[in-house]
Amino acid sequence: MPLAAFLLTSTLFAAAPAKLNFNRDIRPILSDRCFTCHGPDEKARKAGLRLDTKEGAFARKGVIVAGDASASRLLKRVTAANAPLRMPPDGPPLTGAQIETLKQWVTSGATWDLHWSYVPPAKPPVPSVSAPTAIDKFVVDRLNKEGLKLSPEANKATLLRRLSYDVTGLPPTPDEIQAFLRDKSPTAYEKQVDRLLASPRFGERQAMQWLDLARYADTHGYHIDSHRDMWRWRDWVINSFNRNQPFNEFIVEQLAGDLLPKPTTQQILATGFQRNHMINFEGGAIPEEYQNEYVVDRVETAATVFMGMTMGCARCHDHKYDPISQKDFYRFGAFFNTIPEKGLDGTRGNAAPVLELPTDPQAERVKYLKDRTPVVEKELASAAVKEAYQNWQKTARLKPDPRQGLLAHYELDGSLTDSSGNYRHGVSLKDEFAYVASQSGDRAAELSGRSEVELAALPFPSANGPVKTISLWFQTRARTFKNGILFRTNAERQGWSIELDDPFAVPRMQQKARIVLRKVERWPDRVWEARFKEPVFVRTKSDVGMHLAFTADKVYLNGEAVEMEVVRHTLTQPFQEIEGPVTIGGRIEAERLRGRIDDIRFYDRELTPAELRILQEDTPLRENLALTKRAAEQETMLRDWYFRHAAPPEHQKLAAELVDLKRERDDLDWSIETVMVMKEAEKPRDTYLLARGDYRNQTEKLTPGVPSSMPPLPAGAPANRLTLAQWLTSPQHPLTARVAVNRFWQMYFGTGLVKTSEDFGSQGEAPSHPELLDWLATEYVTSGWDTKALQKQILLSATYRQASQSNAALRERDPENRLLARGPRFRLPAELVRDTMLAASGLLNAKVGGPSVLPYQPPGLWEELAFGAEFSAQTYQQSHGEDLYRRSMYTFWKRTMPPSTLSTFDAPDREKCVARRAVTNTPLQALALMNDTTYVEAARALAQRVMREAGPNPAKRVDRAFLLALARPPAPNEAKIVLELAQQKLADYRRSPELAAKLVAVGESKATGDNAELAAWTLAMSVVLNLDETITKE
Amino acid sequence: MQDPVLLAQTRRHFFSRTAKGIGTAALASLLERDAQASSGLPGLPHHTAKAKRVLFLHQSGGPSQIDLFDYKPQMTKHQGVDLPASIRMGQRITGMTSGQSTFPVASTVFKFAQHGQQGAWVSELLPHTAKVIDQLCVIKSMHTDAINHDPAITFIQSGSQQPGRPSMGAWVSYGLGSENDTLPAYVVLISQANAVNNDQPLFSRLWGNGFLPSSHQGVKFRSGGDPVLYLSDPPGVDKNTRRQMLDAVAKINQIKHESYADPEIETRIAQYEMAYRMQTSVPDLMDLSKEPESTFDLYGPQARKPGTYAANCLLARRLLERNVRFVQLYHRGWDQHGDLPRDLSLQCRGTDQPSAALVTDLKQRGLLDDTLIVWGGEFGRTVYCQGRLTDTNYGRDHHPRNFTMWLAGGGIKGGQVIGETDDFSYNITKDPVHVHDLQATILHCLGVDHKRLTYKYQGRHFRLTDVHGEVVNRILA
Repeated sequence: MPLAAFLLTSTLFAAAPAKLNFNRDIRPILSDRCFTCHGPDEKARKAGLRLDTKEGAFARKGVIVAGDASASRLLKRVTAANAPLRMPPDGPPLTGAQIETLKQWVTSGATWDLHWSYVPPAKPPVPSVSAPTAIDKFVVDRLNKEGLKLSPEANKATLLRRLSYDVTGLPPTPDEIQAFLRDKSPTAYEKQVDRLLASPRFGERQAMQWLDLARYADTHGYHIDSHRDMWRWRDWVINSFNRNQPFNEFIVEQLAGDLLPKPTTQQILATGFQRNHMINFEGGAIPEEYQNEYVVDRVETAATVFMGMTMGCARCHDHKYDPISQKDFYRFGAFFNTIPEKGLDGTRGNAAPVLELPTDPQAERVKYLKDRTPVVEKELASAAVKEAYQNWQKTARLKPDPRQGLLAHYELDGSLTDSSGNYRHGVSLKDEFAYVASQSGDRAAELSGRSEVELAALPFPSANGPVKTISLWFQTRARTFKNGILFRTNAERQGWSIELDDPFAVPRMQQKARIVLRKVERWPDRVWEARFKEPVFVRTKSDVGMHLAFTADKVYLNGEAVEMEVVRHTLTQPFQEIEGPVTIGGRIEAERLRGRIDDIRFYDRELTPAELRILQEDTPLRENLALTKRAAEQETMLRDWYFRHAAPPEHQKLAAELVDLKRERDDLDWSIETVMVMKEAEKPRDTYLLARGDYRNQTEKLTPGVPSSMPPLPAGAPANRLTLAQWLTSPQHPLTARVAVNRFWQMYFGTGLVKTSEDFGSQGEAPSHPELLDWLATEYVTSGWDTKALQKQILLSATYRQASQSNAALRERDPENRLLARGPRFRLPAELVRDTMLAASGLLNAKVGGPSVLPYQPPGLWEELAFGAEFSAQTYQQSHGEDLYRRSMYTFWKRTMPPSTLSTFDAPDREKCVARRAVTNTPLQALALMNDTTYVEAARALAQRVMREAGPNPAKRVDRAFLLALARPPAPNEAKIVLELAQQKLADYRRSPELAAKLVAVGESKATGDNAELAAWTLAMSVVLNLDETITKE
Repeated sequence: MQDPVLLAQTRRHFFSRTAKGIGTAALASLLERDAQASSGLPGLPHHTAKAKRVLFLHQSGGPSQIDLFDYKPQMTKHQGVDLPASIRMGQRITGMTSGQSTFPVASTVFKFAQHGQQGAWVSELLPHTAKVIDQLCVIKSMHTDAINHDPAITFIQSGSQQPGRPSMGAWVSYGLGSENDTLPAYVVLISQANAVNNDQPLFSRLWGNGFLPSSHQGVKFRSGGDPVLYLSDPPGVDKNTRRQMLDAVAKINQIKHESYADPEIETRIAQYEMAYRMQTSVPDLMDLSKEPESTFDLYGPQARKPGTYAANCLLARRLLERNVRFVQLYHRGWDQHGDLPRDLSLQCRGTDQPSAALVTDLKQRGLLDDTLIVWGGEFGRTVYCQGRLTDTNYGRDHHPRNFTMWLAGGGIKGGQVIGETDDFSYNITKDPVHVHDLQATILHCLGVDHKRLTYKYQGRHFRLTDVHGEVVNRILA
C-alpha cells in the first residue's frame, strides 16, 4: 500500500519542522513511483534516465533544476495534464502532497543524500535536553519538537509484568510482584532488570524471535513434509543468548563456525542456521532445481536477517529499487553453494551434510563396526563361500509346505479362491482391490482402506473348536489408524478381531505399534483384549511384511512366539463366536485395512514352531528357487535364506555376524543424534548467473562476492563464508548492527525504529528516530556486541517505562505510537499467549530445551493433508504427561500444518524467514481461548490453584487469579462480575452435576475437589483467561 | 443466506447488555468497526463484477486430460509406439520417467462422445458433466511452469512455485472483504481420494495468507469433530453458560477500554461476539437434515456422508448461498502414475455427479449468474505410458505443457471449448492459457484488475500474477 504508507509517514511527520530530509521525504516517492523504470535495473531502464543515484538524476540537464521547480522536467512530467505524458505511466498519478513535497525540495536546492542505510552509522551527539538516559534524550528531543512529552512511568506492577514478558516471555509470579512492590530502594527496578536478564528464560525469549528469522521447524516443508531433527541447534541458540555470547560471534559461528580454526562441536552445530530451510524429496522432482532453491533461500535469509536487505528481488533481474544487480545476487549465493548437499534428500530425517553427536559409548561402537565390517565382508566374498552357495542352489531342498490339517487356504495370488477346496471362496463386497507382486515372486492382495472382503465362516483358534491355527502375512501402509487385519464381528462389535493399535511416537517420529487381539462379548464393557508387550516397527520397507500366526493361546511374529499382555478382561462368560464370515479388515469402514495381506491359512491342528518357521521362511521361497532368472531383490532374498539355513555353519556364522553388524550400524544411525550443518565440499560446486532465475539457464560462471555497492571484502582474505561473516560483523558495516538493534527495539515496542525491520532499502520506511538508531547501533558495537548490556540500556530508559494508557487525542495524533509518547500496548505473540495460561494455572513445565513435543491438537489435522505411508511425521502422536505443558516454543512445528493453537495467533508456518509478525484480532482466536483443550484445562487448573492457594473465600480467590494472570488485584467492579458468575454457576452446576463432571474432566491433568464447585470456578477462571488484558502486554 | 433472526437476536442482546455496560459512543464505533471488518479495500472492485463469489474445485494430483476431455481418436494408430522426438522436443520430464528407455504412446481405453450444442467431446467417465456441458467453458490449452506436485499446486493457488505468497482466496478476501458477518470470507473444504493408489499431500500454505495479515487465511471447515477449529463449547458448558461467560468477559474488557482508549479492545469485544454467532451459524450451515430428498438425488447418495466430495460440494453450495466470498475445495487422488483405468474411474465415480450437480443446483437457485466455478488440477498427464503398457492398463506421468480445466457461471461464456493441442495432447497448438492468465481472468470476473491488487512486502508490490498474466477475453461472456 504505497499510498497508505505515505499518508502514515506524512501524518507522523506533519508537525515536523519544515526542513525536508531527502531520505525521509523524497527518496520514498522516487523509489516507489519512479525506480521501476528509472532505477538500478539497467535492462528495464527507460529513456536512459536514472533517478536512484545523484549522478544519474543530475546527468541530464533540465531534469532537476536545483532552485527552479518550474524549469524541472521532473515536475513537469509528474504534473502533466495530458495522460500519455504524465509520469508515472502506471498506477494513479502522484498525490498533491507528493507533488508539493517534490516541488519544495527542488525549490530549496534539491540536496541529495546517499540512501541512509548504506552510510555507516557515526555516533551522533546526544541531544542536550533534560531526560533521564541517553535514549530518552533522543526521544524527548523529538517529542519537544512535536509539542508532546513522555507519559508518566507505569505503575510498578504493570511495569514488572511488561518487563517479565519482554525479558523472559512469562508473567511475574505473585511472590516476584510482592518483592518488587515492597522494595522501595532507588535501584528496585534495576534489580529486577538484572534478575530477569540472568534468568534462563531470557535465552528462550530471545530465541523465539530468532527461530522465526531462521525459519526453524521440525519438518522438511516440501511435499511429504517428514520430520527433521534441528532441536539441538535451537538449544544452541537459547544457550548462546543465555551466556550472552557477543552478537558478532553469534553471527560468525552461525554462518561459518565450521571454518573457524579448530572448530568446536558447538561451533559446527551453530551452522545449522543455514540448513533450516525447506528440503524436498518429492518423487520425480529434479535435484538441480531444488538444490538451487536451497541456495536462494540462504541468500534471502542471510540478507534479511543480517542486513535488512531484500536481495531476493535480484534473483531474476537487477533489483528495481536498491543497488543490487542480478550478478550480485548469485555472487552472494556462491558463498552458500559449496556444501556437499543433494537436491533431493531427507527421507530418513536429516539431510547431508550432518554433524553426528554420538554419546561416548556410541562413538566406540561406531569405530568397532567400521573396522570389523570390511573384514567380515571380505571373508564372505571368498571363492569358497561363493562356490558353496552355487552348489547348494543346484541341490537345494526346501522343507515341505505344512499342508496336513489345512482347513482353508486363501493364497490371494490373483483370486479369492480357497485353494483347499473345503470352504467357500472369498467375496469382494466393495471397492475392488489389486494383486501386486512382492519380492518372493509371489503376489499379495493390496487393499485400499475401503475394500471389504468376506472369507468363510471360521472361528478363532480354540482348544475345542475346529480351528487350531491361523497364519497370514500382513503389511500396513496406512497413515491413519485403519489397520484392521482379520475380523469376525457383527455390527455391535461382538466377536473377535486381530488389529493393529494406534501407532505411537518413538524417537525420530518413526512409527511402532502393537498387534491387538480382541474378543468382545458386549462392547465396550465386556471385553477381553491382549496385545504385544513390546511394540514393533510396522512400516517395513520390505514387500514381504510380517508373518503372523495365532493358536488358541499363542501368537507368533515371523516364526517367533511373542510375549503378550492382557490389558482388559471383563468377559462374564467364556467367549462365544458369532455367526457369519471372517472379514479382512473389519465390517466398518473405520477399521478397514489399507495395506497388503497374503496367504491366509486356517489349520485344524496347532502347528509346531518349526512348521511356522517353514511357513515364514521356506514357503515364500518356493517360487523364488524355481526361477531361472532372478531380479536383484529376489536374489538377495534367496541368498539371505541360504545363509540363515543351509550354508555350512562357519559361513552361517559369518553371515549372521554381518547381519548383526549392519543392523547395529543401522540402529546407531537411527539412535545417534545428528543435526544438519554447513560444510565445504571437497570439490565445491560452480556457481553461475541464472538467467531469469531459472536453474536451467546457466550463463556466466561466478566467484563468491558481496554487492559492489557495499564495502568490499577485506583484501587478500579467501572469498568464503568465514570472510563473509567477518565482513558482516566489521564495525564499518553500515547495516548489521542497525538491523540487530532495530529488532530488539521492535520486540519491546511492537514496532522498530525502522518499521520495516526486514527492509532497510529504499522501499523500506525511513527510521522514526535516525539518530537514536545510530546511537544504539554504535553503542552496541563499541560494547563488544554485548546484547544484555544493550537490552538493559533500553529497559532502564524512561521511554520504555512509560505507562501505556492513552487518550483519544494522542491516539489520533500518533495511532502507531511511533513518536513514543506512551508505553507499548499490544497482544502477546502466540507462544506467550499459551505460556501465560500455562504459567498462571501452574501447569507450566519449566524444562529448557530438548526434542520438540506434541501438545493437544484437534484430531486429524495432520492426517487429512498428509501423504502417509512409511514416512515420519504423518500422524499426530500427541504427547502425554509433563510434555503437554512445555513452553510453546518447544511445540513440534510441522510446516505444512503448523501448530493450530499457535498459528491462530499469527505464528508463521516457518517456510521462509520472517522478521515481523502480523498482530491480528479474530473470532478464531476467541474460539481457541474459549474452547481449546489447552485453555479449558488451564482454566480448570487455575481454579484448582486459587482454591488451594486462597482458601474458601471467593473474593480472595478472584484476587489471586487476577494476580496470577494480570499481576494486579481486580478493581471492585471487576471482581464483582467474576464473583457473580462463579456464584451463579455454582448453583447451576449443583443442579446439573453431570455437566460439572464433564467440564472438569477436560484435559489429562487430574481434577481435584468438588465437581460442581470446580466447574463453576473453571468458568470464572475462563473469564479471567479470556480477558483482553490477559493476552496483552501493557 | 444468513439467518436474519439470529443476527437480530444477537445484536439485540448485545444492545440490551451494552446499554448498561458500554457507552453509546463506544458502541457506535464498535458496530462501525464490525461493519468495516467485512469490507474490502477502498476503490475495489475496479470495475463491475460479474461474479461475487468463487468456488474452486481443485482436483489435486493432476487429472488426465487425455482420458477425460482432450479426445484424440487418431492416437490409437500410435499405440505403443515411442513418442516422436518432434513432439517431445527435448522438454524436461520428471525424475520418475526420465530413466525410462522408451516413451510408448498410451491411447485412452475410454470411449468419448460429443455433447451439447457445440458437440464437445467428453469421456464416458464423466456422464453428468457431459449433461451440463452447455454451461461450461472448457479450456483444453491450460499450461503451467511446474512439473511436480508441490511446486505446481503452490503455483496455481498462489502464483508462485515457491512457498511464501498469499493464496488466491486470501488475495480475494484481502481485496474484496466479506459479505457475510457470521462466516469467514474464505472457506476451505477437503475430501479424500477415491482411487486405490496413494494420493498426494496437501499443505496449509495452499490456503495460507503469505505476507497478508493472517485474518485472510482460508478457514477449513472439517467433516470430523469441530467443523471449525475450537468451535464447540467444551463438554459441560451449555449455550446459556457461554453467554453468561461472554457477558462477563465483555464487561471487564469494557472497563479496561474506558481507561486505555485502545481500539484493539473494542475489536476484541466484537470478535468474541462474532465467535458466538459462528457457534450458531456454522452448525446451521453444516446441518443437512433439512435438505430435501431432491438434493440428494441431485448430488448423489454420497452427499449424506460427511467428508466426501459430494458432501463437500453440497456444503459449498450452502456456503455460497450465505455469500461466502471464496470457497476452495480440494479433492485428493488424481495422481495416476499407474493403474490409471481403475483409479481414474474411481475418482470420476466419486466426483462427476456432484461437480455437475453444483452447476445445475446453482443455476436453479439463480446463483450461477454471479458465482464463478472453476474445475481442474495443477497439471495434466503425459501421453506416454509410465511403467508397463498393456491393452488394458497404463499409467501417466505429470504433464505441465497442456491440461484441461473448466469454468462456469458469473462472467463466463458457457458452451464453448477453448484451445487445441497436437495429436498427442502434448503441445498446445492454439490459444494457450497460462496459469497466470487464468488467475488474472478469475480476478477479472470478480471486478478486480490483477495488476492493481497489490501488497507491499519487502519493498516490492506483490500481486497474485507476479509480473505476468493476461485476462483471457474469449473465456468471458
